[in-house]
Formats: sequence, structure tokens, C-alpha cells
Amino acid sequence: MCNLPIKVVCRANAEYMSPSGKVPFIHVGNQVVSELGPIVQFVKAKGHSLSDGLDEVQKAEMKAYMELVNNMLLTAELYLQWCDEATVGEITHARYGSPYPWPLNRILAYQKQWEVKRKMKAIGWGKKTLDQVLEDVDQCCQALSQRLGTQPYFFNKQPTELDALVFGHLYTILTTQLTNDELSEKVKNYSNLLAFCRRIEQHYFEDRAKGSSSIRLS
Amino acid sequence: MAAPMELFCWSGGWGLPSVDLDSLAVLTYARFTGAPLKVHKISNPWRSPSGTLPALRTSHGEVISVPHKIITHLRKEKFNADYDLSARQGADTLAFVSLLEEKLLPVLIHTFWIDAKNYVEVTRKWYAEAMPFPLNFFLPGRMQRQHMERLQLLCGEHRPEHEEELEKELYQDARECLTLLSQRLGSQKFFFGDAPASLDAFVFSYLALLLQVKLPSGKLQAHLRGLHNLCAYCTHILSLYFPWDGAEVPPPRQTPVSPETEEEPYRRRTQVLSVLAGLAAMVGYALLSGIVSVQRATPARTPGTGALGMAEGDEEE
Repeated sequence: MCNLPIKVVCRANAEYMSPSGKVPFIHVGNQVVSELGPIVQFVKAKGHSLSDGLDEVQKAEMKAYMELVNNMLLTAELYLQWCDEATVGEITHARYGSPYPWPLNRILAYQKQWEVKRKMKAIGWGKKTLDQVLEDVDQCCQALSQRLGTQPYFFNKQPTELDALVFGHLYTILTTQLTNDELSEKVKNYSNLLAFCRRIEQHYFEDRAKGSSSIRLS
Repeated sequence: MAAPMELFCWSGGWGLPSVDLDSLAVLTYARFTGAPLKVHKISNPWRSPSGTLPALRTSHGEVISVPHKIITHLRKEKFNADYDLSARQGADTLAFVSLLEEKLLPVLIHTFWIDAKNYVEVTRKWYAEAMPFPLNFFLPGRMQRQHMERLQLLCGEHRPEHEEELEKELYQDARECLTLLSQRLGSQKFFFGDAPASLDAFVFSYLALLLQVKLPSGKLQAHLRGLHNLCAYCTHILSLYFPWDGAEVPPPRQTPVSPETEEEPYRRRTQVLSVLAGLAAMVGYALLSGIVSVQRATPARTPGTGALGMAEGDEEE
């Protein structure tokens, strides 16, 4: 969205290369910056920012909605990937352990799963059932949908960091094949969110994403 | 209607109606909506029906202990402070609550439970004094370990050498969050106009704890005091909805010496009593074991002078 030239590189040990242990991170010159928040700050320091046109109240709202997405959508995604037995067994273990030989793939996958489960317990999601998690996702999508309304982007004409974040999460939810499609169904209930994703995909990714998966509107 | 709903929460202290974040939020929401709750302010979590505080026992006997669920239940029972909010404002509520939980909660936990000075002088002191024997020996320590683990998991695994940096980052995020809240509040009385909503209950509980408690190392307090609209908002809610609890605040604030002088007569009394008790015990032992004996024959000789000397009671014997 900022029109910055980037090269996307996929590495199996990306989590270990990152200074904070989390992906994504960017490598610019001799600096390494990880996670969305610091990356946005870094880019802003270099002179590119999407949220300069917002006033103070809007900036506050944008930050709040970004936290909402992080709090609910991210946690729900983690939950679904690592705490739902069906998904874990069929998809996550295989996917997470694929770059490594046996038995490392098993060990690392179990380790990550244990870590995620601990975190869920600490924030109170340990006792939640899948239905409750889906209900929370629904609430979150409802809030986002209401905030978006009929506008093209969350803060009217120009995209901001919030749009990038929401697009990232929703696109992943909509295009990842899982054992059950309930999560993507919840998102598909909100037509303005679907249209929003389609719009961003067309505008910013179509020329680059030739042949990769696109949103299936069933 | 069945039995009234009962709310069990941590008792008040430090000038606030409750010392615990979740209890304060639930209590404030209940006050906003005027829900007829029977409030039990206790300082022993084992006496609560669910083992943790806060806990709500509904009119049907069910026990709910997650704060969000308690508020949802109150809403279902028609005590809804968000009734007049538009859909967009409801969405904003969700977003701002997430903001509070992500940015302010870690710092609050750190300030009260991890920061060594604060923990020893304020938090642990209050909990140890408030809890009954023998819980006060091990529960505060256990609570601290739980909070520390929660904080570690919230902020990701951090290596010891980066701890200072992490702390600085945490406080920076919190300061930013407070500034954002201040900008969102502006000059309004409450976040969504003139009537309080659930978001106000949550924000108030965070702000009250950060602002009202006298902390030895209150790095965030200084920043918060600079945001005048948030301070006014906090005092406004305290005076409006918790007038009798809020009245406890002025006396300790006026002079730092006054709490000492209030304790003075009691301290003196305890000191005098303990000295007397010690003396009585010594004298009693001395008399009983025969080291000294009291003469009653000669009125000239007083028991005081004869007590410490040797027994010269030849005439008597």
C-alpha cells in the first residue's frame, strides 16, 4: 500500500532469525525489524506513512481496532490451528513440521503446540470450546463490518494500517483450507467485508499474484 | 423474582471501593446500571462460591466468575448500560476494551505485582493484612507467581538481558494508550456522551487503580496526572457513584503524617500494655518460684523495695 519495493522470502527458521521470535520481520540494510507495530514505526521513520491524514480521535480508533483484531482474530486463528484436535492432527502438525526430517518435525510441532496451549490458558481461552471461539470471531467481524459500513476503506478514501491488518487476517481465513470451514463461513456472512477483501486483492495484488489462490466466493 | 443476585468481590482499600481490577470493573458497572446486587466485600478468595474473585451468584444459584461473562449476564437481566449505544459505538467498545487489555493490563500487572518496591510496600502489605490467618502467608506469593506467569505469556518469552528494554517498551505502550484514551474522551463526561456505558466501567477501573493508589514508584502516575481530562473523569465517577467510599480518600491525602498520628494512641497503648504484661509475668514467676517473697508484717517496708532484694523475712519465719 505504501508502494515500497519488497522481496518476500520464505524460510523455515524464520521464527528463530527474528529478533523477537515472531514473524514477519523485515531486513533492510543492516537492520532487522520484526512484527507489524515496529515495522510500521520503522517505515514511518523513513518517511512513508498511511495514517498521516487522520486526526487524533481517528488515530485512537485505528489503534483500538487493530488491537481488537489482534486480540480476537489472531487468538482465534491460533486456537483453531493448535487447540482444535481435528485441525491439529490433519493439517497443522504436517504443515509445521514439513521442512524438518523425522523426528524433529514431531518434536517441534508438539513443543509449539504446548507453548500455544499455555498462552491460551494464561489469557483465559483455555477453557473455551470451538463454538465459543467462533462466536467471538463473529462478534469481532460484526464490529469490523459495522465500522466499515459502506465505505471503501475503514477511514474513508485512503487505506491505513488497519486496512492492511484486517485484510491480512481475513484473506488468510478465507483462503486457507481447513478441516471445517466454519471460520471462513463466519466471515463470509458479512458481505461488505468480503467486498473489502476482494477490492484490496484486486487493487494491490492482482498483478503480482498470478496463479496463486484467490478468494472463492461460493 | 428468585433470590437476589450476590456479588462477591475483593474489599476496598487505598481509597477505592475495591483493590482488584476485575472486581472494581464489575462493581462500577453494577452501580452504573443500578442493578440490585447484594455485594459481599471479602478478602478471602476461598470463601467465594467459585474460589476466585469476583464471582456472581445469580438468582438461579449459578456461579459466574469471568468478569466479561458477569457483565453479559447483567445485560441479559435487563441491566444494560449499553442499551442506548449505536451499533458503531458497540463496535468501538469492543475495540477499546481490547486496547486496554493489550496495552494497559500488562503494565498494571507489572506495577502492582512485579515491581519490587510497589509489591512489597503496597500490594503484598495490603493482601497480607487483609487476608485471614493462615492464608496471608502463602496466598499473596502464589498470586504474584500467577501474575508473573501471565505477564510473561502475554508479552512473549523475554530473555533476562532484554528485561529492561521490555519494561521500557511496556511503559511506552501504556503511555501511548493513555494519551489515546484521553484524545478519545476529549471534553465529554463519558465516552459515549452523557450516560455511562460498559466501556466507562472498564476504563475507570484501570484509571482508578493507577491514579488513586499511592505507589512508591509510580512511573505511569506522573504521565496520567498530566492528562487532566482523564483525572477529572476518574474523580467524577468516584464522587458520583461511590460517594461514601470516595470519602475515605481525603484524610490520608492531606498530610502524610496523619495516618501515623492516628495510629499513635493505639501504638502507645499496645506498647504500654506489652511492657505491663512482661513485668507482670516476671514478677509472677519470681514470686511463685520463691526467689522473692512479699512481707506483710511491717507496714514500713513496701513490697516494691523488698521485691528485688533477698528475702529478709526472719521475723515472719
